[in-house]
Amino acid sequence: MKNDFHVIVIGGGGTGAAVIHDLTQRGFKATLVERGELTSGTTGRHHGLLHSGGRYAVKDQESARECIHENYILRKIAPEALELNEGLFVAITDEDEAYSEQFLAGCEECGIETRVLTPKQTLELEPNLNPKLRLAVQIPDGTIDAWRLPLHFFATAKHRGADIRPYNEVIGFIKQGGVVSGVRVLNHRTQQEYDLKGDLVVNATGPWAQKVTTMAETKVPVQPSPGVMVAVRGRYHNMVLNRLNPSSDGDIIVPQRNLSVIGTSSWVVDDPDKLGVPEEHIQLMFKMGGMMVPTIEHAEFRAAWSAARPLIGAEEGEEDTGRELSRTFKCFDHKERNNVEGLVSIIGGKAMTLRGMAETTVDVVCKKFGLDIPCRTHEEVLLPYRAYYH
Amino acid sequence: MTEKKISFKVLRYKPGAIDPPRYDTFQVTVGDRTTVLDVLEDVRVEQDSTLMYRHSCHHACCGTCAYKINGQEGLGCVTNVLELGTAEVVVEPMDGLSRIVDLVVDMTDFYRDFSPDWTYIRDSEWYPEAATPPEVDHYVRFENCIECGACVSACPVTAAGDFYMGPAALAAVNRELSKGNGNKSFLLDLAGSERGVWQCHSAFECSEVCPSDVNPAGLIMELRRRLIMQKVKSLFGMK
Repeated sequence: MKNDFHVIVIGGGGTGAAVIHDLTQRGFKATLVERGELTSGTTGRHHGLLHSGGRYAVKDQESARECIHENYILRKIAPEALELNEGLFVAITDEDEAYSEQFLAGCEECGIETRVLTPKQTLELEPNLNPKLRLAVQIPDGTIDAWRLPLHFFATAKHRGADIRPYNEVIGFIKQGGVVSGVRVLNHRTQQEYDLKGDLVVNATGPWAQKVTTMAETKVPVQPSPGVMVAVRGRYHNMVLNRLNPSSDGDIIVPQRNLSVIGTSSWVVDDPDKLGVPEEHIQLMFKMGGMMVPTIEHAEFRAAWSAARPLIGAEEGEEDTGRELSRTFKCFDHKERNNVEGLVSIIGGKAMTLRGMAETTVDVVCKKFGLDIPCRTHEEVLLPYRAYYH
Repeated sequence: MTEKKISFKVLRYKPGAIDPPRYDTFQVTVGDRTTVLDVLEDVRVEQDSTLMYRHSCHHACCGTCAYKINGQEGLGCVTNVLELGTAEVVVEPMDGLSRIVDLVVDMTDFYRDFSPDWTYIRDSEWYPEAATPPEVDHYVRFENCIECGACVSACPVTAAGDFYMGPAALAAVNRELSKGNGNKSFLLDLAGSERGVWQCHSAFECSEVCPSDVNPAGLIMELRRRLIMQKVKSLFGMK
């Protein structure tokens, strides 16, 4: 199974975790470098929603299909990283109720199972919901532990021989005549710089993808798009709650552990290192969360934070707020895109489509080396996350 | 909104480069909601990109950002700077775990006495009166323990050497016993072993610093009761 190719992965988020797992499973020698702690960028801070795809079933069906497909795979390969408590889309207003028709049609087109519930049935399941609700639709949502899910992938990769190096930051590319043959790395532990040579480099840095490709004098159309999330103490419902409406601010509440997380908002930034947490967004999360679950509006504050989505941006000249951009993912071979050989970038996607993003990426990697090795990550149960430390 | 200037004194350590460790002080401006982790992020982005610390979820669920803040263990992401009430805030790595770089400690030792197979999912205690949909037998949730290491750092016994499993692993043993998983006698033997519950000095520091309401000290006491009950039963020939 082993081959002699050495692939370098930049970025220790969920995507990098799944990519290095897939690479080692297909027999590559693989090294991952991450400038800080694993999952300290976007991945760790995601909402924690194991999407059914319902959120995207009307306007972004490619993402919706990816979500439901990966949802069932993650249930099989990483059950310990998931609270499997189902989810509801809840209609509160006339507009919500009217939207339910499109929503149900969209779910059916994308293969997302639904069950329509009356207000009485819904309140028996979730007594704290807004009693004015018109109807609810049950879908197979769940909750993800944002740190432990990627750690399952890292653990499995590490036990297959992957070399995972947090606190190692890429500061340049080794590049000659349009061919990338490795990266220049600053080891933040020793403050020493070194060259890391490889046959191919995978840029899996999410919203930082453009910053990284700039060092290789090439481009990738990533649009960092932050959103604010607010965690409150306590759980006010067992299932994930989504507002039955076109995607908007504060329309999802994810219960997890002993907290509830309300999210999210959406805007765009140039620099994923400088997000901020606007106070008005925090207040909006409380207000919108309270529309679905009235007690949430006055629940005890625990934390507020921002995370930058790595959306596939509009190509030059187009304006957007991030809300309209698809949540799907795309792998770019920089040879085809900008005539830079030896570099592949994966951007877009969602925390929960990490495995699918890795499959697509490593398919591209295999093709570049002329190898025909099928992906098997959908069928292998991952090692427990604690195995990363054993 | 209040804005205040604060000094952040952070312990720095880079093997062979900043060695022995030293303190660096950074001047920062904080607001009502600014957390210790927010400040570390600002310092890294604005003042010193070589500052290393662990962090991930930013809402007290992953357990990566435990540091000693003004001498006490806490999660950087939910420690409000102004509520500390000091003009200077001192941030240091946790004790009892070896240091990798700056505020980063090696969690390998923390997991030494954990089995990777112990489950992280438990039945949910919220709203038992609520109905469940047909797909769900019983609502579940993640454990409270986020494995941050604060209890191990605060424990006076783990500080004295590596002869003690420590509060986090023992709390995990008790959870496994309570769930009825695995081999009961193996788990009880582990709890009663030389590295187990009898090493605890009942200082209760672990429960004091736990950011996630696990109460390891209480669970250690419960393990002791389980062991005594087992002994009593075996004296009377009961199983």
